[in-house]
Amino acid sequence: MSRIILTAAIRGSHAIVNRVAKKVEEAIEKFGPDQKVELPNTGYYLPIIWGILGIPVTKLGDMPRVVEYCKNLLPPIPDEKNWLPYLGPGLDAGMATLLSYDMEEALKYLEDPLPYLPLAEDCDDEHLWLGAADDRIMRKRGVEFVDGTAPGFAAIVGAAPDNETAVKIAKELQEKNLYVFMASDHNGVNMAEQLKEEGVQLGWTTRLVPFGKDTSAAIHAMGFATRVAMAFGGVKPGDYVKILRYNKNRVFAFVMALGHVTDEWYAAAAGCINWGFPTIADSNIPQILPTGVCTYEHVVSNVPHDQIVSKAIEVRGLKIQVAKVPVPVSYGPAFEGERIGKDAMHVELAGPKAMGVEFCTSAPLDEVQDGKIELVGPDFKDMEEGSRHSLGILVTVAGRKMQEDFEPILERQIHHFLNWAEGVLHIGQRDIIWLRISKKAMEKGFSAIHFGKILHARFHSEFNNIVDKIQVNIYTEEDKVKLLLDKARTVWKERDERLAGLTDDAVDTFYSCTLCQSFAPNHVCIITPERPGLCGAYNWLDGKAAYEINPTGPNQPVKKGEVVDEKLGKWKGVDEFVYPTSHNTIQSFSAYSIMNDPMTSCGCFECITVVLPMANGVMIVDRDSTCMTPCGMTFSTLAGTVGGGLQTPGFIGMSKFYIGSKKFISADGGFKRIVWMPKALKEQLKDMLVKRSEEIGIPDFYDKIATEEDATTEEEVIEFMNKVGHPALEMEPMM
Amino acid sequence: MAFTPPLEKYAGKIREVVIGKGDKVVKLGGHNAMPGCIFDGDFPNLPKIALEVFDSAPEDWAPEAIKPYEDVVNDPVAWAKKAVDVYNAELVCLHLKSTDPNGENVGADEAAQLAKKVSDSISVPLIVLGSGNAEKDGEVAAKVCEVCAGQNLLVGLAVEDNYKKIGAAAIGYGHCVAAQSPIDVNLAKQLNILLDNLGVPLDKIVMEPSTGALGYGIEYTYSVMERIELAALSQNDDKMQLPIMNIMAVETWKTREAKLDVDAEPTFGDLSKRGILWEAMTAVDLILSGTSLLIMRHPEAVRLTKEIIEELYLGK
Repeated sequence: MSRIILTAAIRGSHAIVNRVAKKVEEAIEKFGPDQKVELPNTGYYLPIIWGILGIPVTKLGDMPRVVEYCKNLLPPIPDEKNWLPYLGPGLDAGMATLLSYDMEEALKYLEDPLPYLPLAEDCDDEHLWLGAADDRIMRKRGVEFVDGTAPGFAAIVGAAPDNETAVKIAKELQEKNLYVFMASDHNGVNMAEQLKEEGVQLGWTTRLVPFGKDTSAAIHAMGFATRVAMAFGGVKPGDYVKILRYNKNRVFAFVMALGHVTDEWYAAAAGCINWGFPTIADSNIPQILPTGVCTYEHVVSNVPHDQIVSKAIEVRGLKIQVAKVPVPVSYGPAFEGERIGKDAMHVELAGPKAMGVEFCTSAPLDEVQDGKIELVGPDFKDMEEGSRHSLGILVTVAGRKMQEDFEPILERQIHHFLNWAEGVLHIGQRDIIWLRISKKAMEKGFSAIHFGKILHARFHSEFNNIVDKIQVNIYTEEDKVKLLLDKARTVWKERDERLAGLTDDAVDTFYSCTLCQSFAPNHVCIITPERPGLCGAYNWLDGKAAYEINPTGPNQPVKKGEVVDEKLGKWKGVDEFVYPTSHNTIQSFSAYSIMNDPMTSCGCFECITVVLPMANGVMIVDRDSTCMTPCGMTFSTLAGTVGGGLQTPGFIGMSKFYIGSKKFISADGGFKRIVWMPKALKEQLKDMLVKRSEEIGIPDFYDKIATEEDATTEEEVIEFMNKVGHPALEMEPMM
Repeated sequence: MAFTPPLEKYAGKIREVVIGKGDKVVKLGGHNAMPGCIFDGDFPNLPKIALEVFDSAPEDWAPEAIKPYEDVVNDPVAWAKKAVDVYNAELVCLHLKSTDPNGENVGADEAAQLAKKVSDSISVPLIVLGSGNAEKDGEVAAKVCEVCAGQNLLVGLAVEDNYKKIGAAAIGYGHCVAAQSPIDVNLAKQLNILLDNLGVPLDKIVMEPSTGALGYGIEYTYSVMERIELAALSQNDDKMQLPIMNIMAVETWKTREAKLDVDAEPTFGDLSKRGILWEAMTAVDLILSGTSLLIMRHPEAVRLTKEIIEELYLGK
């Protein structure tokens, strides 16, 4: 449908350019070509013309050149029948419009009386229209754009259907810390006038800035944005590509069209698209939805007034900041380990004797209402002291960059987020949660709703890059909890299956982890789906999410690239990443071998695997073990030689999960090589080990692994192996 | 055969950062070899030393540290002037310590006005640091940037929690940023990247890697600085090629050795020399670690340090 819009825009731009050309002519006739033209106190001349074209307009005589440029930029009005591709010409028409507006508004500063209140920060009783901001205001306010205190602005043209709606929209935008720039009129009324009638204070101080009643006055918003790019982005005047890109990527602005959209509005809106600013309209006009110049959609229309602000924020890709967690109790990591005994407890939720469920899921953006928190069932204050209740927490998130794979990662955070509240004890996750609320917290007015408030605030602040909207439902009513529990269990099963099915071969990207370079400077972890980080704390999905959340952080994507050796698990892309990242110390990594270029360790490994050459197999010892091992060293002695980013064939540090992986030293014979483990570890991992034993076709393999009770030296291990008929004895030599 | 000394050629070079404006300008960095290795490369700018000034009279200083400033401790402007006119400071570092919200909690406006007064009354560039409270420092530094617009001060400390506030104001009003990271080479790099992404030009940032005093963790500082320099020079890591500064006097003068009376610890020797030597020794260690800017306190310690700098770099 963009043909209709852009045809109108092009039509409008023709009218505007011609009108301004005439005005410039008349002004030169009246004042002469040497008459100075300038906006108040600025070093940026007419900012759009200076920024985009690099032409410093200082006098009327400089304008005809720009008028000529605009005329050349104007595309022909598209034919009704045989129309050509239109987006490019439409954008040109928009640019010509804005360049013309820049001159039209500058000419106003020659008028007597001046229609604006120059150099003022705020409106006074007689003067509503402020016109162009001077450099002093631009710098002060521009700083807020860069540091994020004010992420951007809403350029509003027209007026709301009534004063009440105008006030509501303005308030809502203020709450999101956005500036509101107002210009133009709808049926002779501008939104600023509506706000003034309602006694709202206007000016830069309240971030509600009335520029002017003509549509051309909207140019002061664009002039402001263009100057910000030059002042804060260090962009040189005339480097239009960088000016436009800076605005698209950093200035979160959008146009809000309230009222009937004229050709002139279309033309101006097309101009704004060049800056990456989309238009959100309340009227029923055609839309331009495909992503292209703007981050997401270009024109979204027919948006109801109660949704227009949140829609605009979504379309522009603006991130919401929640500065403080709004709860009546103290909140911070200090309260994470807090215990709440029976006497201090007001109520117990979930736990072993009641139902509990904590579930995070994602939904399309238009199905989630940000900040909505709903409680079904009694609140804590209505629960009898010392009683026990079931609890269900459903967190529904939505985001442009949200992926289903991130759901479990977000879900796992619920524990930490809730536990940070003073007077809340939280244990476990999924359906094994157990909570207590203290009497003290109740005295301060803690409510079930605050669970929602905490989660809403923390998800926004921690997962800003992937989550745009968060809605929380809390259930304390038995049957509702049951319903959620059933649903969650189905999803968890699917998730677990998907995770189990995720293999190294199925992905083309691994993730790095250099978190530990602070103490092991040359160590790099490469995390693959089948080989998590050696600390056991980061799996492949964590790495993926961590990268989305913090693109400059320690987890970076590593493209596998060309296969160097499939069996060893060597890829060109991995080696090319590891070499510089290990500060030119490690040339190559094998993902699946302990003998050939094994992966290095920082020192955080859950277990160490060591080759026992005579036994022709490997032993595994974990961090909790204190016993002597068949290689002649205890865990702590081994740890001293394996860590620090050194590549030592025959030794690897790894996670417990990796033992059960099909890729566990698969290049060297795999799982069948395991000959010894501490008893405690073996029992802890029993399910996993038995499952793998069955998979390799030796169901009793679990019993063939010796423990410290069977053997403490390599000789004794071999003796044990002979006794049980360990398969490693028959395998080809390891070294 | 004649002996040819082996030379180490480095791929990278530290950016030159200019602090100050007009005729009061100090340049930092610009070198392309490891500290003191004048045979390996060029050192266009020797390490510089700033003298510190506090916005309120210090209460717990060693008597020896107070002595040179006794007559000016209640007047930061006079203090700064004395540091420059009498003790020839190359730069002045104003600590806005009383802005600490857990202390006097002086407002950002008042603090910024003081910074401007000090800057206007001295003939050398000014460094302005806050109280160490990240949130308040952000607010104070932003105001300092605004009030001292265009003077190209070095303002800080920018840390991960406030870098946006300080960085944005520094860009907008034309200043350099002192960026502090908690003694970790990757975190130092990350903060540089964050500031860079924000739009702060990399030649307007000086790194503070967290400084420990002699006997109190200086070996950690040494390691981190050495690794930063190696990353910058050997590996040509663009995001690490920034000069390093060390806020060292505050650390040095709070050690036992600098403060404890000889009666309490007879083996320590003369207190009047001890603090000065402790500061000078710390300074020399940091020069060998690769610093470009030291924030120091005692004029005598500065004199000793300068002697070493000249000997090391100019062969005097």
